[in-house]
Amino acid sequence: MIAFQFVTAFLMIFMGLYAFLYKRNLIKLILALNLVDAGIHLLLISLGYRLENGLLPTAPIYTGYETLKGTPMVGPIPQALVLTSIVIGVCVLSLAMALTVNAYQQYETLDVSKLRRLRG
Amino acid sequence: MKTTFGALSLIFILGVLLVVANPNYGLKFGLGEGNWEEYRYTDQYYIEHGVEEVGGTNIVTDIVFDYRGYDTLGEATVLFTSIAGAVALLRKWRGEE
Amino acid sequence: MRPQNSDMGLIVKTMARATIPLIGIFGAYVIVHGHITPGGGFQGGATIAGAGVLFLVAFGLSEAKEKINKNFYSVLEGIGGLVFLTAGMLGLGVVFFYNVLWHKGPVFNGEAGTLLSAGYLPIMNLAVGLKVYTGLVSALFAIALFRRWKK
Repeated sequence: MIAFQFVTAFLMIFMGLYAFLYKRNLIKLILALNLVDAGIHLLLISLGYRLENGLLPTAPIYTGYETLKGTPMVGPIPQALVLTSIVIGVCVLSLAMALTVNAYQQYETLDVSKLRRLRG
Repeated sequence: MKTTFGALSLIFILGVLLVVANPNYGLKFGLGEGNWEEYRYTDQYYIEHGVEEVGGTNIVTDIVFDYRGYDTLGEATVLFTSIAGAVALLRKWRGEE
Repeated sequence: MRPQNSDMGLIVKTMARATIPLIGIFGAYVIVHGHITPGGGFQGGATIAGAGVLFLVAFGLSEAKEKINKNFYSVLEGIGGLVFLTAGMLGLGVVFFYNVLWHKGPVFNGEAGTLLSAGYLPIMNLAVGLKVYTGLVSALFAIALFRRWKK
């Protein structure tokens, strides 16, 4: 685990939370959702990092060039689950964009506070 | 005033979380307590046995498609459903030609 | 409203003609070698979908509609999902998602690290790559074809 990535992940998550609380534009809200998503991914990936007996780890892939036997590898489970999570993020992004386009076509505005009225 | 206070409180919560959630010197809970890195034997098992059990030298692909295959199946389902929903929301509706 | 013939200028079109095959070849390489080098089905599929985005942006919607059939892509996405499920069911005699091709299969059981190894992993990589590519391209076309604006 690296301190720089840890701090950066929490900064990204809280930038997204700030945008959630104080922005009214739907597009900006979707961007904030993706920012929180990316922050969580960075946090999980950085938790997979490990440093064993002073050696820098490599990616969890055997390429045939591992001459040093004791070289540690970073944890593969966070990478696999983050890969799944990225696909889910893309799905949520596409569905949210479709809903936003429909809302703009119905209300002719992107302001969240003006989306209250029901309109046929 | 209210906005400034809210932003300041967000920064305060960020600082508290940065200290508390850090596994090195934050709160200790769960099985691992202090030496939580010793309890990550699942990673080590996959790294050591992945090539002979699944066959791919890319351990991440081994996990995604074999050890955690149900996750990938659910992910494929979610991808299909969300793309179908987006296409259904964006195409021409009936009686709107 | 927006003009119907909304393609880019000559420089962008020439660059797109040069780079779209290269992007496609790189994505296919990432998909096919997914089990021995970094990459995999999703990454390669997203790379090829980037080539589709470049095609749509550079040549405009009217020419892209002639080249890319949206319904055919939707069918291909379903086929990708079915191939993935079938590859998971191959080892159903033992357990679901059992890698029977790698342990005692006729094909894809070479030495670990070569291209024809790792059992059903290459099949699943191809299926997921096809699924992601066609899904992203059809979602993009659905957004681009949206024509219900009020005048």
